[in-house]
Amino acid sequence: MAGHTGGLSARMSKGRAAGAALPEGSPNDDARTAFWLVAPALALYAVFTLLPIAATFWLSFNSSAGFNTSASFVGVGNYAKAAQDPIVWKSLVHTFAWLAYHVVMAGGLGLLLALAVSRLRITQVFFRTAFFLPHLVSLAVVGVIWANIYDPFFGLLNTALTQIGLGAFTQGWLSDPALVLFSVNVASSWQGFGLYMLLFIAGLQNIDHSLYDAAEVDGANAFQKLIYVTLPGLREVMTFVISLAMINGLKGFATVFVMTNGGPFYQSELITTYIYRLAFQSQDHGLAAVLCILLSLLAIVITIVFNRWRARLSQ
Amino acid sequence: MLKFLARGTALAAMIATSSLAHAETLKMWGPEQITEPLVAQLWNGIKADFERANPDVTVEFMPPTGTISNGAVQAAIQSDAGPDVILTNSGIGRISVVKNAKQVMPLTEQYEKRGWKDQIYPWLYTELKGQFGGEIYEVPDGLDALGIWYHKDIFAQAGWKIPATWAEFETLMKAIEETGLQPIAIGPRTPGSAGHLFGNLLQSASGKEVIGKALRREVAFDDPSIAAGAVRLQKLVEAGYIKKEMAGLDLDGASRLWFNKRAAMFVAGPWFTANARKAGYDLANAGYAPMPSDIKGAAIPTGGVGWSWLVPVNSKQPELAMKWIDFMLSDAVMKKRAQDPASTMIYPREIPGVEPPTPVLKDIFAAAAGGVGYNPSVYLPGTVLDTYFQVIQGLISGQIGGEDGMKQLQAKMAEAK
Repeated sequence: MAGHTGGLSARMSKGRAAGAALPEGSPNDDARTAFWLVAPALALYAVFTLLPIAATFWLSFNSSAGFNTSASFVGVGNYAKAAQDPIVWKSLVHTFAWLAYHVVMAGGLGLLLALAVSRLRITQVFFRTAFFLPHLVSLAVVGVIWANIYDPFFGLLNTALTQIGLGAFTQGWLSDPALVLFSVNVASSWQGFGLYMLLFIAGLQNIDHSLYDAAEVDGANAFQKLIYVTLPGLREVMTFVISLAMINGLKGFATVFVMTNGGPFYQSELITTYIYRLAFQSQDHGLAAVLCILLSLLAIVITIVFNRWRARLSQ
Repeated sequence: MLKFLARGTALAAMIATSSLAHAETLKMWGPEQITEPLVAQLWNGIKADFERANPDVTVEFMPPTGTISNGAVQAAIQSDAGPDVILTNSGIGRISVVKNAKQVMPLTEQYEKRGWKDQIYPWLYTELKGQFGGEIYEVPDGLDALGIWYHKDIFAQAGWKIPATWAEFETLMKAIEETGLQPIAIGPRTPGSAGHLFGNLLQSASGKEVIGKALRREVAFDDPSIAAGAVRLQKLVEAGYIKKEMAGLDLDGASRLWFNKRAAMFVAGPWFTANARKAGYDLANAGYAPMPSDIKGAAIPTGGVGWSWLVPVNSKQPELAMKWIDFMLSDAVMKKRAQDPASTMIYPREIPGVEPPTPVLKDIFAAAAGGVGYNPSVYLPGTVLDTYFQVIQGLISGQIGGEDGMKQLQAKMAEAK
């Protein structure tokens, strides 16, 4: 190792002394040098990413009641158990719904606010900052805040509805099986939309203004300009925001954990919360490992499908 | 000058090294309300007493951020930077989770060796010995006694009292509901709170003996004799005596409803005095009574071991942890705690001559004097608990009926070891 690094530094100083670019070595030397340069990163990646992935795979074929316990090989037993577990299927459906809600609500709100704010001249900085602030709050804190907002008896939402004469619309936001996942997602999206808004604002600033002038000359109204100029101009940002929102959506955990812990009666259970429940509460690490793999596969499939769609869109 | 400095530094290093060699730190998890000034004052006093008795030891409190039920204790142990000794919510259900994961040490030998066996009620020792084939993994610190808390002033004003029978209790709830008050509050988002009321209903409907049999698997949970309690909850929800919206509340939310006198009753144990203090509620106005029952002898609080000491297998100071438990079980500490205004529980052995610090605690001790029933939250196997709590949420939110819920519980029970 010392010899290689010594060789590299000698060659670098030689090049520098000559005032020229790095001298070209043989392809073997370059490959060796490159290897040693990336080796530390590779080692870290192997220890902190590849090894845990391998351990998760190994664990998924074993029955383990927790750490420090000798695991016993059960083959695909945990996979069969997962397939027969109705909560796994429920949490899978909820995860998809959660993703969709997050993309539409957080992404959509980000876009709407970007459109609203980007035209402002004096107050733009204020609104950008104000709308971005929730993003700085931790999701766990957001969960606590929104759980109080949703409190059916003392919460801000039901109280406000009652005060303005809309008492008929008060709900058990976290107890109604049909509403709970949506309600929790609102809290999560509220925390996330600020980032998407900033990305959209950056995208809007990159649209060539002459396109708007041309549209105006052609007699386009505001709505037509939005449809034919703004939205196509935001296509790249939009695909980026959607992929980011999907990644954030898949990681959905903290708000659900704090606000409902997956309830009532599993109605807000996501794969991530079920993994936590299995691994840390029931200490069923084998089944939890199967769900980790399921979640990873889900992320891979979504990424592939999304990237293909994006490629087709840009053709 | 330089020589002097060098010698001074060397001497200081030697002193530091020698004191480091002897200094020991005991990391302790808990107690739950350590952030409350009154509780902190008591525990800092206990810590100071222990450190005085053991001059080379420093006790470091780790304020808990969860329990076995939500996985926090397991995560802390698994981190390998966790506590040496833990005080946490316990009972066989919770202990089985950490015991099955081999996260806590068996303490049976210590019971004999250190005399812990004689420092808890004999019936409690027998019960602990029967739980895991003779091996004991916990040292009880406090017992729970769960019953109905009510506002004395509201009840006196309306001429209400907690009746003796279930039929009369339903009439009382109807009367309360008609005044616009919530008859009874529950926060099932917090597992404990879900189990407190539900355990009371099960015992009220089936009696202590039958519940005991179900927990020992001599009767199935979906047997009509047990499912009756779940059907009772379903009917309370259908009648509007327990609002479906309560399925979205946690313990704090439900407590708030009671402390603000928007709910007439709440099911809790002696620990609720700590919540009341925190909320600024006048404890002199709190009344306590067991859940009414038509079955003779069933109108007693439910309960069981509420808090226990555990020693993680990766405790860095296991010997010191045992010493700490010795200290906590000593007469001096037990008396100090029982008489302190921060006292919130029934202790694991009789402490003669101790006057409970609040009137409501006196009522609870009197109600529990004849024994307590079973709170399934602390007796069910760990792998069944989650289903138990979710079924309660399902019943309150109107998603399932009592019989269906108990069928699901029984199915999980059949799977459990």
